[in-house]
Amino acid sequence: MPRSVWKGPFVDGFMLKKAEKTRASGRINEVIKIWSRRSTVLPQFVGLTFGVYNGKKHVPVSITEDMIGHKFGEFAPTRSFSSHGGDKKAVKAKG
Amino acid sequence: MARIAGVNIPTQKRVNIALQYIHGIGEKFAQEICTKVNIPAERRVSQLTDAEVLQIREAIDRDYTVEGDLRRETAMNIKRLMDLGCYRGLRHRRKLPVRGQRTRTNARTRKGKAVAIAGKKKVTK
Repeated sequence: MPRSVWKGPFVDGFMLKKAEKTRASGRINEVIKIWSRRSTVLPQFVGLTFGVYNGKKHVPVSITEDMIGHKFGEFAPTRSFSSHGGDKKAVKAKG
Repeated sequence: MARIAGVNIPTQKRVNIALQYIHGIGEKFAQEICTKVNIPAERRVSQLTDAEVLQIREAIDRDYTVEGDLRRETAMNIKRLMDLGCYRGLRHRRKLPVRGQRTRTNARTRKGKAVAIAGKKKVTK
């Protein structure tokens, strides 16, 4: 079930501060390290780059307009995918 | 013969059933269309007049996304997720279940038919 509209999007408060600070400092290309995977991507984050923690390291994610409304955690997978070896051709075809 | 919304040619059946042969129209929308154009659902398609068929066609064109348009819309939605690089997109790319189902067993609809050991080269003598 989706979240109630009257509550507004969920964002950890410090995210806003961090974003504002980077914008004010003028170093927009800097990666902002965050651990808050649960926060929603807001319109004011567009254009910034966030380092979203995946439990091991910060995955750089540059925010685009399409990402608004998704959660930060969606862009930094926490599990590394590995498949069994075998015929190399078959593995390549799978992508 | 009645051609509604492109390629669909359902005849001999009741109107509300026949309309469901169109991709994007199910029980509910079929019933809705019948009431909108004032045709009793019990009528057979073959007993419709040309004017009535035209009315149905117009109603569908106006209010519903069906067939090619609908397929394109869903495909675009999935493509958006895949290009975004979000978790749901990754699952689509890998052809695995998207909504958190288990994959240790089952998940055969997404994964396709079971393969003994995937990617293993067949022994040829």
